[in-house]
Amino acid sequence: MYRSPVREPLITGKKDLHDITEDIARPIETKANKWWWSLFIFSVIAMIWGFGCIAYTIGTGIGVWGLNNTVGWAWDITNFVWWVGIGHAGTLISAVLLLFRQKWRLSINRTSEAMTIFAVVQAGLFPLIHMGRIWMGYWIFPLPNQFGPLWVNFNSPLLWDVFAISTYFSVSLVFWYMGLIPDFAMIRDRAVKPIAKKVYTILSFGWSGRAKHWQRHEVMSLVLAGLCTPLVLSVHSIVSMDFATSVIPGWHTTIFPPYFVAGAIFGGFAMCQTLLLVARKVVSLEDYITMKHIEYMNIIILVTGSIVGCAYITELFIAWYSGVEFEQYAFLNRATGPYWWAYWAMMTCNVISPQLMWFKKLRRNILFTFIIALFVHIGMWFERFVIIVTSLHRDFLPSSWSMFSPSFVDIGIFVGTCGFFLVLFLLYARTFPVIAQAELKTIVKTSSSKYNKNKNE
Amino acid sequence: MKTGKKYFKSPYIKGNENYLHNEFSEKLPLDSFIDEQKTNDNNTSRRDFLKFLGFSTAAAVLSSCEAPVRKSIPYLNKPEEIIPGVANYYASTYFQENVFANILVKTREGRPISVSTNKEFEKNINCVGGLNSRGYASVLSLYDSNRLKFPLKNNKEISWSNLDNEIITSLNQLLKTNKKITFLTSTIISPTFQEIISKFSEKYKNFEVVYFDPISKSGILEANKECFGEAFIPTYRFDKAKVIVSFEADFLGNWLDSSHGKQYAKGRNPGKNMSKHYQFESLLSLTGSNADKRVPLNPDQQFNYMLYIFGKLQASKNLIQISNQNHKLILDQICQELVENKGASLIVSGSSDVKNQLVVNAINYLLDNYSTTIDYNRKSNLYSSINSDFENFIEDVTNNKVGAIIINDLNIVYNYPSFKDQLKNIDLKISFSESLDETASLMDFVCAKSHYLESWGDANPYTGVYTLQQPTINPIFNTRESETNLLRWMNISQGFFNYLKSSFSKQALDKSWNKTLHDGYCFQNFEEKDYIFSSSVAKEIINNYSSELKSSIEDTFLILYSKTSMGEGKQSNNPWLQELPDPISKVTWDNYLTISPFYAKKLGLKNWHVANGGLNGDIVNLTNGNKVLQVPIYIQPGQHDNTFGLAFGYGKEKGGKVANGVGVNAFEFFKDLQFVQKNGFSIEKIKGIEHEFACTQNSHTMMGRSIVKETTLKEYLKNPKSGNKDFKLESYKGKVSPNELSLYEEHEPAVHFWNMSIDLNKCNGCGACVIACHAENNVPVVGKEEVRKNRDMHWLRIDRYYSSDMNKDLANEQGIGAIEMYKLMEEPSSSENLEVVFQPVMCQHCNNAPCENVCPVAATTHSKEGLNQMTYNRCIGTRYCLNNCPYKVRRFNWFNYKDNDNFDYNMNDDLGKMVLNPDVTVRARGVMEKCSMCIQNIQKTKLDAKKEGRKVRDGEVNCACETACDTGAIVFGDALDTNSRISKEKKHPRTYALLEELNTQPSVFYKTKVRNKQKIS
Repeated sequence: MYRSPVREPLITGKKDLHDITEDIARPIETKANKWWWSLFIFSVIAMIWGFGCIAYTIGTGIGVWGLNNTVGWAWDITNFVWWVGIGHAGTLISAVLLLFRQKWRLSINRTSEAMTIFAVVQAGLFPLIHMGRIWMGYWIFPLPNQFGPLWVNFNSPLLWDVFAISTYFSVSLVFWYMGLIPDFAMIRDRAVKPIAKKVYTILSFGWSGRAKHWQRHEVMSLVLAGLCTPLVLSVHSIVSMDFATSVIPGWHTTIFPPYFVAGAIFGGFAMCQTLLLVARKVVSLEDYITMKHIEYMNIIILVTGSIVGCAYITELFIAWYSGVEFEQYAFLNRATGPYWWAYWAMMTCNVISPQLMWFKKLRRNILFTFIIALFVHIGMWFERFVIIVTSLHRDFLPSSWSMFSPSFVDIGIFVGTCGFFLVLFLLYARTFPVIAQAELKTIVKTSSSKYNKNKNE
Repeated sequence: MKTGKKYFKSPYIKGNENYLHNEFSEKLPLDSFIDEQKTNDNNTSRRDFLKFLGFSTAAAVLSSCEAPVRKSIPYLNKPEEIIPGVANYYASTYFQENVFANILVKTREGRPISVSTNKEFEKNINCVGGLNSRGYASVLSLYDSNRLKFPLKNNKEISWSNLDNEIITSLNQLLKTNKKITFLTSTIISPTFQEIISKFSEKYKNFEVVYFDPISKSGILEANKECFGEAFIPTYRFDKAKVIVSFEADFLGNWLDSSHGKQYAKGRNPGKNMSKHYQFESLLSLTGSNADKRVPLNPDQQFNYMLYIFGKLQASKNLIQISNQNHKLILDQICQELVENKGASLIVSGSSDVKNQLVVNAINYLLDNYSTTIDYNRKSNLYSSINSDFENFIEDVTNNKVGAIIINDLNIVYNYPSFKDQLKNIDLKISFSESLDETASLMDFVCAKSHYLESWGDANPYTGVYTLQQPTINPIFNTRESETNLLRWMNISQGFFNYLKSSFSKQALDKSWNKTLHDGYCFQNFEEKDYIFSSSVAKEIINNYSSELKSSIEDTFLILYSKTSMGEGKQSNNPWLQELPDPISKVTWDNYLTISPFYAKKLGLKNWHVANGGLNGDIVNLTNGNKVLQVPIYIQPGQHDNTFGLAFGYGKEKGGKVANGVGVNAFEFFKDLQFVQKNGFSIEKIKGIEHEFACTQNSHTMMGRSIVKETTLKEYLKNPKSGNKDFKLESYKGKVSPNELSLYEEHEPAVHFWNMSIDLNKCNGCGACVIACHAENNVPVVGKEEVRKNRDMHWLRIDRYYSSDMNKDLANEQGIGAIEMYKLMEEPSSSENLEVVFQPVMCQHCNNAPCENVCPVAATTHSKEGLNQMTYNRCIGTRYCLNNCPYKVRRFNWFNYKDNDNFDYNMNDDLGKMVLNPDVTVRARGVMEKCSMCIQNIQKTKLDAKKEGRKVRDGEVNCACETACDTGAIVFGDALDTNSRISKEKKHPRTYALLEELNTQPSVFYKTKVRNKQKIS
């Protein structure tokens, strides 16, 4: 293994190219263990429960949720923004880090992109099921139609959402798939069972490993990376405009786009961290996802967490500085009103807990990292809840002030999407190459590693 | 598709090629769809053919899915006067629970779908009657599936002829005994009915009539008998009074006559002649909420204060001591103002106690108010029940002197629960009832009674006023008018209609039947005479009551009152009324023990909000003698410390699906038929259980925000814009009004610009508009559980705010921080200082509408006439518009409210559906809805005007709420018409837009509330 005098190696365990192939193909070619099965069954149950709740909602009406005349969105859009945020880190890791030539991304980009896609699938569910008439949902697309001069309303941020999310989803999917092709080909070549062989043959699109294929593959990756980079900024900016363009105090805030993007990266990296920490243990990838990777991600969590913290404080400052009484009350109400606990849960989890990452010892501690990542999930969920519910529940006219409490269906759907997400991820972990092995092999210096090996012997 | 030759459809078209295009102001977008070039060719191209094929297939498929098709069957023989799609109006009379109104009934295809006050009648006579919220809701009671469908004998069906025969036989048998046949009835204002009754008493010698109104005005009748020698109720003229002093009389609510709100509003125009209104009361009533100065006071003290005023006006030296110095100052000021406004003042009392009414009469007499603000020549016939008559009757029943009882339109077992045990003393029990209620279910015979909209009748509500009642639909069930029953039992074969017609000529003398039936009313001349006030009354008062009533702090008072929505509970099975929030507490579907904050603290009783915002309360055992009721408590700011309130009209056991099990029956405590029960009752908290309320408003103060703008008369006279300072924003251009910073292009209304003005000085918060809106716009009822979740569907709500003792200036002064300040602002003022304001809020039809921007499918858009329109068909239910509405007036169909097993009444059964207005879509699940400014009426009026080739006249278009608002608080019209009322209102210095800092540019605006108050030093 090539060793930089100043940098820690990105792959440990003295791997050569064949070792990598074996390590990556092993989960696909062997049987799943007890842990996988138990987690899978648990997730499937949660998913079915969630789908049941969705079916109940569609069959009966949105009234089965806890919403009311004042709070028209609550867990639905909270979950939507939360999942979209999680789906943010994937593109950042694969596209932005690719453009910046950060090689450490190679061990984690495949999984983080998978996470992105699965998270966006969950996110996409909510705008659909939150509609009162989902069966008319296709009207949000600018389709030529026979309903007379009817067209979508391009002023509406919800429509921008439709474009932003669908673009993001499709580009991410293509980008992800592009990277997967050589790896699928590798698995195809190793496959012995006829069905698996057939399936991987189809999935690998006739990849032959010719130089021309590699050349096109790399050019395409760069082009897509270039396309994805603005999307990193656009998706969550546009999601934030659902709120920023409204008139509700607490929503009507120009800081939202950058604040939401930072928050999304923050939450996305935390989810990436959570999944990788589990995956490296379960599928034995400790040599590829090293302490160095974990530490890098923790640093990003620390930086984006601090940005988010600054944004929170800026919001408070602006509310005071603006002199607008509704704005001032909205923020005081967040911190001291009936939902104070949500606000302080958000503050603790998002602002205070990541600051502990300043200590090297802590950010290199796996258990601690895992706990902080969980804290960030909770904090980021509450951030959206605070923005949506506590702004809506007490707006301009006190006569319509209200409260929100979730029904079992609200909770069921959220749990269901977590289950659905895990089901997808677990299936992915057993059928897809979880590390971009073809790319990863580029940073393995075979000759020097042999040399090292020999030298050591 | 085109053929070679061109045929003209009419000679107009020839030589006038534009004729067809004039039909539509804009070209239909057909051209883009069909290539004109190609259609003009002699053949249809393959592409066009495929387009047509595709279109027609898609259209056929699309139209066959979605909503289920309901077949309507055309008339075989169409009645001459009915044109499908065109409403017919009939004048008629409403009289229920002592509320009279001359009404217009709107029918569509033979179904009455709404009622409203007959404005022509109102124009012709000053200030009598009028519909309240119960009146507007009464049309729904017609379609109540709980109504009796046929006559009953011992709760089993019987035919009318058998019933008649059996009853005649029994009555004739009774003639032979000494026992009485008692006709127990609520007040009858129909002269024809009275004539029939007197005829009946000729035939059956031992017949007697006993009037019993559950909520009677016996006190006033008896007092007047003592003062003037005749038991009558005069008509009051609140519009002529400059100083109004009311002791517990809720005259804007349920006191005496539904016209008082209208009269009162006439005197509330800010200006030199604005009336001044003092209210002394124990509970917080609708009237007290509107008063310029309200003093919470227990009933005993009220009597003392009355006596003080009486003494002071007589310049008596022996004045009652008023211990509260502040109150003494108020009373002295009142006396001074009363003297200054002799003949233009009015003292009223809501007490059922004769002595209170005597003092009130004496004061009014001293102030020369008789014949000015109190008209004893035009008497009100709305109340004829005298408590002592009823008590005599009860004694007769106890002594077995009553052989038969015929109960007319009265649920006596509910209104007087102890009567249930005495029924066994009566041999023959007959009831004329619309439903199988608590009383009817215990009767031998029940004569199913027709609803008033199915019945003929007449009325003489006031001296000199005669009105007719006509059926607007055939009886839906096998029912009869009460009068018919008596006619049959007298063996008069003449139908009641013919009887009425012949009686009419006696009543109305020279008037034409047809004209009276068309107009609904006619007037008779009557003699005016002067009544002499008996001088002994004043002396008697001085002698008997010269020393004050001693009341100690320990005394407690239970006050039985009635809500504007429920009254005495005759219509408790009406879901519209159950869901109409109480104007003060904003609680729906309930009655409760109102309790002062002071006493709640003393007893450790609490109200609190749970996680979903719903209000919960402790439950107490309310004990009076051997009667115990479990009642939830509601802590009512503004209520006098030692008083408790409980509303009539709830706690039905056999009221129907809607009414059963809602609340408790306050009549259980109606001892001696007195509204006030002093001491003798106890309240004890029940541990471990709690009650769930359904309130439509859970925050009660304005939090220091400028929502209802308010000023005092004094300030207003100095500067009409006082309290209504223009809002200016700081900007780079300096201070500007918000619309100067707008990024939006303004909508330019083209032909009309529909605006609405709401005068907060005239609105008294009664809620009639809410019910009228329900009826007009097919607003669904959602039930208690849903209201509790804050999902009421009212398109129009009335916000009620209490004043708070905390404000920003005070906080600055005392150095209170923002967090603490807002906490204190949430608390209503202490009882003594509490002020209440009402604000009706419906869709504000913003011209910069936040909701329009955010809808992804453009389901809510702006019309060229300034309206914010909701296209239900296009709505996909994202609720973004609801979130972004600063006024929170949008209502979402959380469930399918039109076919829901949870609410199998109103819209949810076939009978209830008959009340639906066919001009308004019934909204499906998952769509947003809101006030449309009754767009269906606007369209109809525009079409009428177009057909007649004229412009729409001012006042021609009416919103349901405007029609229902008899105080004239709501004005609607076209602001582009410079002469219209609304244009003038728009320029008025009191006019302001709600939340104008947001620059939403509403089409609805409000007028500042002006209170006629000054600081009493």
